[in-house]
Amino acid sequence: MSDSKICVGAIAGAFGVKGEVRLKSFCADPAAIAGYAPLTSEDGSRRFTLTLGQPISSGFAARIDGIATKEAADALRGVRLYAERSALPELPDDEFYHADLIGLTVLDTGGATLGRVRAVLNHGAGDILEIAAPGLPDAVLLPFTLDAVPTVDVAAGRIIADPPEGLFSQSPDPEPDPA
Amino acid sequence: MSRSVWKGPFVDSYVLKKAEKSRESGRNEVIKIWSRRSTILPQFVGLTFGVYNGRKHIPVNVSEDMIGQKFGEYSPTRTYHGHAADKKAKRK
Repeated sequence: MSDSKICVGAIAGAFGVKGEVRLKSFCADPAAIAGYAPLTSEDGSRRFTLTLGQPISSGFAARIDGIATKEAADALRGVRLYAERSALPELPDDEFYHADLIGLTVLDTGGATLGRVRAVLNHGAGDILEIAAPGLPDAVLLPFTLDAVPTVDVAAGRIIADPPEGLFSQSPDPEPDPA
Repeated sequence: MSRSVWKGPFVDSYVLKKAEKSRESGRNEVIKIWSRRSTILPQFVGLTFGVYNGRKHIPVNVSEDMIGQKFGEYSPTRTYHGHAADKKAKRK
């Protein structure tokens, strides 16, 4: 498990005139951002203690300790909020945070490097790893299943993949005539 | 108006052929298809299709709860990555 920081939200400006801010949450459950306090700025120089208020269209109205005026709240516009990776709860086996998977090296079962995880996608049919493979023009999409990804070793920073045939060759395949 | 029941679900014939061929061979492969309009049938469960979204083939692992929907529903044509934050991925 890495000790890096994870961006969990951002301040979009002032809300009202009493020093509240508009808070955008990037968490799977938007209200969970309050549980990762104290949050810091990207460089770690500022710490923010939040109290979530009412939900608004773009997130939450929130109060930050030490921010009492609209001007002070406006000055925070654009600040990204980071939480310590260690603040996230432990997950059961076979479940991983996207932040942990992104950046891992992907090796095949023979030990050859296939690429690096660039993103984790989910379009409703299971999770997919987007892998930037050297030498290929486009990223390769690998289903995140036990068959295709038998080993995930976050501590060692690598994934062992057994990709379906032809996935990393990306040979041109003509579109068939549906008629 | 919904599709008449007597016609049965629509599937492009080449999708059926490719799925049958892949199941017979038992190979671990992504079946590349362009037919986003085809309905997901029970015989597709367990197979992985690469459904074209206009730019690339998105892998779709077919499970039982997807039967009756269209392939295109699982292969979005617009990109939005969002933020990783505390989002989780589960291996199935």
